Amino acid sequence: MTGWHIDAGLLADYDRGALDPSRVMAVDAHLLACASCRGRVEVDTVWLTGNWAAVFDAVHAPKQRALRRLLGRLGLPEHRIQLLAAMPALRWSWLGAIAAVLALAVAAAYLGQTGARVGDMLFLVFAPILPVLAVATAYGPPADPMHEIADTTPAAGPSLVLWRATAVVAVAVAMGMAAAVLLPGPGWYAVAWLLPALLLSIGSLALSTIVSLSAAAGLLGGAWLIIVGTAAMVHRESSLPVVFGGTAQLGYLLAAAVAVVVLAVRRSRLDLGETR
Amino acid sequence: MLGLDPMVPAQRTELRRRIGYLPQNPGLYPQFTAYDLLDYVAVLKEMTDGRQRRAEVRRVLDEVELADRARTKVRKLSGGMRQRLGLAQALLGEPQLLILDEPTVGLDPEQRMLFRALISRLGERRTVLLSTHQTEDVGALCERVVVMNSGRVIFDGSPRELVAVADGRVWLSTTAPIGSQAYWRNADGLYRTLGDQPEGGEPGQPSLEDGYLLLLDTSGRLGAAR
Repeated sequence: MTGWHIDAGLLADYDRGALDPSRVMAVDAHLLACASCRGRVEVDTVWLTGNWAAVFDAVHAPKQRALRRLLGRLGLPEHRIQLLAAMPALRWSWLGAIAAVLALAVAAAYLGQTGARVGDMLFLVFAPILPVLAVATAYGPPADPMHEIADTTPAAGPSLVLWRATAVVAVAVAMGMAAAVLLPGPGWYAVAWLLPALLLSIGSLALSTIVSLSAAAGLLGGAWLIIVGTAAMVHRESSLPVVFGGTAQLGYLLAAAVAVVVLAVRRSRLDLGETR
Repeated sequence: MLGLDPMVPAQRTELRRRIGYLPQNPGLYPQFTAYDLLDYVAVLKEMTDGRQRRAEVRRVLDEVELADRARTKVRKLSGGMRQRLGLAQALLGEPQLLILDEPTVGLDPEQRMLFRALISRLGERRTVLLSTHQTEDVGALCERVVVMNSGRVIFDGSPRELVAVADGRVWLSTTAPIGSQAYWRNADGLYRTLGDQPEGGEPGQPSLEDGYLLLLDTSGRLGAAR
């Protein structure tokens, strides 16, 4: 440093913004190197603090990845997006696993050696399970490694569980529908699995007011696979209309309605802090 | 707890608003950055206003001295930094009661010292409940000690009173005591025994750990020295 410092008049002009650009640059360059002159510059600390905070937040804010942008376009507020984006069931690995299962089921429908009907049956048996598996990862151990922390926050409880379950079921159903339209069978195959999926998902949530969510999903999903899978293997040609026909669909709808009532009545039990 | 009944749903929610909790294994999402993770927990703590939430995230990052690591993913943070991040999430919302479960386990001595300094500072303006087996942490930080065994409180007092439990029960000898299961050779080459006086044993200075061990002596082995 030469020992030269900015005189008061020049500094006042700089503060007021009255200098031409070349002189501003010269003063800026000096201020970068001279702490003494920097200390003499008028500073609006409130403005500075606020702007620094805004810069800090802009730099560190969560990246707007595809999922967050999509949820934002659906009209969800930012804090709700942050809750859903943290879910293990909405990670690419999980979504990839669902896509792989659906792709295999559709492939089986086309490549089944005993006829397309068996392949279609495979899809219809497994497709309702996928939303149930997704619901099982909506909250709680072992699906959510941060469940201990989440369970001690005010958000813990029915609202969080239902938001998360709805999100994962919606994603799983959307993926299932996309796969279902590729099935070689009749058009109603594309929707025949929806009511069973709804029943199993809501049923798992309702049953989770008694046992853990993963146990509930395992019980109902396992029961579906055993009952429907056995029927499909024993009565290949005749089981499709029985398991997915009009009467069965009405039964699934009524059972889902009962599950909704049970869930509504016992919803406080979705809070893990509630004793069972 | 804090005047509220956790068995009543409405009061349980209010209680959750007033506590901050750091579990022994926080399970912090490894793919999140420190900032993301705190933002997420802040949402769980009902901070729905974006500006207020971000200000609170900045505040706790500064409090635990992790502001320069805000963009670092959790999986790339050291063990000590992860513990500080875990503490930061517990501090969101300025809780009245901070509950820390084994917060210094796995930390090296320097990290432990930094963590203790942090807890000590936090304890100046709120209640901190420390659940730990690290008697050094208890001696360094706590004004009141509660010892539990099989769900029962077996001691409730000051650290000094816990040390006093071991008064007259700590012995030093130059030879290994015969028959005792509760002795070890210390750095000075002397045998330190807890319980009854061994042959040739001289009284030793009791510590917090000695008092704790004697309190938990359910098998009676500490009275076996001859």
